Amino acid sequence: MKGKFSITGALAAGIVASGLAISVPAVAKDIVLNMAGPDWGPTRFLQEYFNKTYKAKSGNNVKLVFDFIPWPNFYDRVAASLTSGEKKYQMIISDSQWIGTFIEGGHFMKLNKYIDADPELQAIMKDIHPAMIENYSTYPHKSKNYYGFPQFPDTKVTWFRNDLFCHKGEQAAFKAKFNDTLPCSYDEWKNADWGTWENVGKFFRRDKGAKLGDGVAEHDFYGIAYQAGKVADFSSMQILAFIWQHGGQIWDEANEPKAQALGVVNSPESVKGFQHYLDLLKYAPPAHKTGQMGIFAIQELFMQGKVAAIIDWAGVAPPALDPKVSKYHDKTGFAMTPGLRKSDGSIDRTDNIGGQPFVLTTWNSEEVTKEALEVVKWWMSKDVQIEFSKNGGEPGLMSVMNSPEYNDYLPWNRAHAELLQYQKDVWHTPEMFEMLTQQQEEFDKAITGQKTAKEAMDAIAKFQQELLTEVGRIK
Amino acid sequence: MNKPAATDAGEFGDLSRSQIPPTDKKIQSPAGGKTMRDFWQWMFSPSRRGPMLVAPALIMLFVMNIFPLMWSFGLSFFHYKASSIRPPRFAGLYYYEKVLTDPVVWERLQTTALIVALSVLLQLVIGFSLAMMFEKKFPLRREILMLVLTPMMLSFVAVGVFFKLFYEPTFGLLSQGYAYFMGEPMTLLATKWGAVWGIVIADAWMWSPFVMLLVLAGLVSVPDYLYEAAEVDRASKWKRFVTVTFPYVRGLLLLALLFRTIETFKIFDVVYLITNGGPGTSTETVAVYVYRVAFQFFKTSQSSALSYILLFIVIVLTNLYLYFVKKRGEEG
Repeated sequence: MKGKFSITGALAAGIVASGLAISVPAVAKDIVLNMAGPDWGPTRFLQEYFNKTYKAKSGNNVKLVFDFIPWPNFYDRVAASLTSGEKKYQMIISDSQWIGTFIEGGHFMKLNKYIDADPELQAIMKDIHPAMIENYSTYPHKSKNYYGFPQFPDTKVTWFRNDLFCHKGEQAAFKAKFNDTLPCSYDEWKNADWGTWENVGKFFRRDKGAKLGDGVAEHDFYGIAYQAGKVADFSSMQILAFIWQHGGQIWDEANEPKAQALGVVNSPESVKGFQHYLDLLKYAPPAHKTGQMGIFAIQELFMQGKVAAIIDWAGVAPPALDPKVSKYHDKTGFAMTPGLRKSDGSIDRTDNIGGQPFVLTTWNSEEVTKEALEVVKWWMSKDVQIEFSKNGGEPGLMSVMNSPEYNDYLPWNRAHAELLQYQKDVWHTPEMFEMLTQQQEEFDKAITGQKTAKEAMDAIAKFQQELLTEVGRIK
Repeated sequence: MNKPAATDAGEFGDLSRSQIPPTDKKIQSPAGGKTMRDFWQWMFSPSRRGPMLVAPALIMLFVMNIFPLMWSFGLSFFHYKASSIRPPRFAGLYYYEKVLTDPVVWERLQTTALIVALSVLLQLVIGFSLAMMFEKKFPLRREILMLVLTPMMLSFVAVGVFFKLFYEPTFGLLSQGYAYFMGEPMTLLATKWGAVWGIVIADAWMWSPFVMLLVLAGLVSVPDYLYEAAEVDRASKWKRFVTVTFPYVRGLLLLALLFRTIETFKIFDVVYLITNGGPGTSTETVAVYVYRVAFQFFKTSQSSALSYILLFIVIVLTNLYLYFVKKRGEEG
């Protein structure tokens, strides 16, 4: 009847009103972070550990989907994805040298406003080694513009067969031949310079069937090896170490447009450094003559027992300790890399830093950006960095590297931590890849005997001068 | 019963209206308010059936092939880098001039021409020899023929990786074999000529069976009575080859030469995998160079211009060979 008060209706209204008065929890969102990364141990660990342990503080369901890309194709694939406009990735593990190319292309996000607003991120930045901040994060180089956090910092270390280097007979013979100590302990390797490295190269060159340690050489055996590969940046990463140690320089992007390439890149010191590299290469296995002795080739040569000592990235060292793939997994030691002895007796170990930063892409929404930064904070937390260090990785936090237990996690950790102070990096400008490709070609010509060191360095300097002048970075 | 007028029945001739299938009816435009069935009947009426069925393939061809061709051709006249956020600016023939006056491009073309010449020659010789062998019947002929054809079925990447490992101086079979006899490993890829021959051998290994198939088709078509007549005339083996065999296979041989020249001119995978253009740049073909310029340096306009110049070269080569094939055919 009209006007009659309905008890049922009142009850229903009451229920609705009380329901509205209770705060309803927000619905958890599904957020997918697609990340591109090189296909190797450090990224595989990141994916596995994330899946096992990560819980988003926001309550959202955050999923990390990795696109694992083989190293030789990594740049090409990432570059193709970014320039195609597909906007596939929310995060990328970018090699430090590329950040300029993709920042100027509008793909990588500047993080300053997020760092300035977040005390946790600021604390992380303070705990990262300055060499990593400078080389992984800043663009322009050494500026205060930050674009990344270290996902995997890397340095080159010496890998050596401790059954040979610590063999009493081999040590005595080495001493007798060269009046030099065959390095065995960490401190002995710390005192090893390029002269010792050359002596090792001469000493351990043995034909098949010759005496080697407690046995005989199963194959032709070589003393030393380091990168001599045309692909990617392989040769450059070792040659630049020699150039810098001899006092040479690369084009200084931090001083553009005044900094020149001609006369700097091909200075007498640079040529001398490159020649020194070439002189030591003759003691390496014959693969170096083809210009195809990259980081994985020397890793394989070492694990198959064809070379006594190599200089290679710590990032590719874990397989050397794996009995499934390395014949000498229990006879492998790690140490600091040799360097150039200076007049005061100290050793200059200036080298090119390896490793990659995390970056975020510019098309992420605020919500996705926040979740991505939470992932970065999780990765850069002390517990995770320690776990990473125990599982073949290198931490980005100084507090972890400075802890007394750090050296015990992995046999190369001590060397890696001590080598960080010597690290520099190659250029980060958008022209980086063209400069690197041409440089690699010229280095390869010298390595394969088509040119002298001076001719190669002159060609590199001329090319860089012309290219950088054309794009306005040299005036 | 009145016979329907011929024009009414159309292609069905003298059939009465009741015998004519409904789809032959002239259907009004669907906008005239007809049913969905009428619409499909209109869409797939005999006059439209063929084009409609081919349309998806044509659309795919346009999207995947024609449009990119047109787009890249247009880009070659603008200043544009795929890695840059700057919009394209008109450049006219700037990049064509730049490419044609670039000594690096000419050097790459010379390298490509060298590899093409050596590889195609080797393929023709090996392919022809294999065809002569397989023309005859012998035990296990079919099985051996299948094995010989296998390289052609493999992917370029598989062949590239295989030969890279095969040539590897420390582990590779070639070096191991060489070291067994000579006492030291072989570093085939350490020199320009070694690397060129390494690529040529890999390419010839893969594609000689293709030449063999074409030549074999010609050889088996030669009538036996011609050989018998030549034998009766006491013609020598060489004379028989020149006057009987070769005329039958000449056209197919030219076809093989044409195809293999065009394909080898575009060689990329095998070079990229085996030598990466090294040592230095001594085996960097023009296709590898275009790849670097386009996808590593992101000089989009420059690489587009170079690609069209290469397309022009291939078209010229194609027309040249077709001219000679036609001329020979007329003379024959």
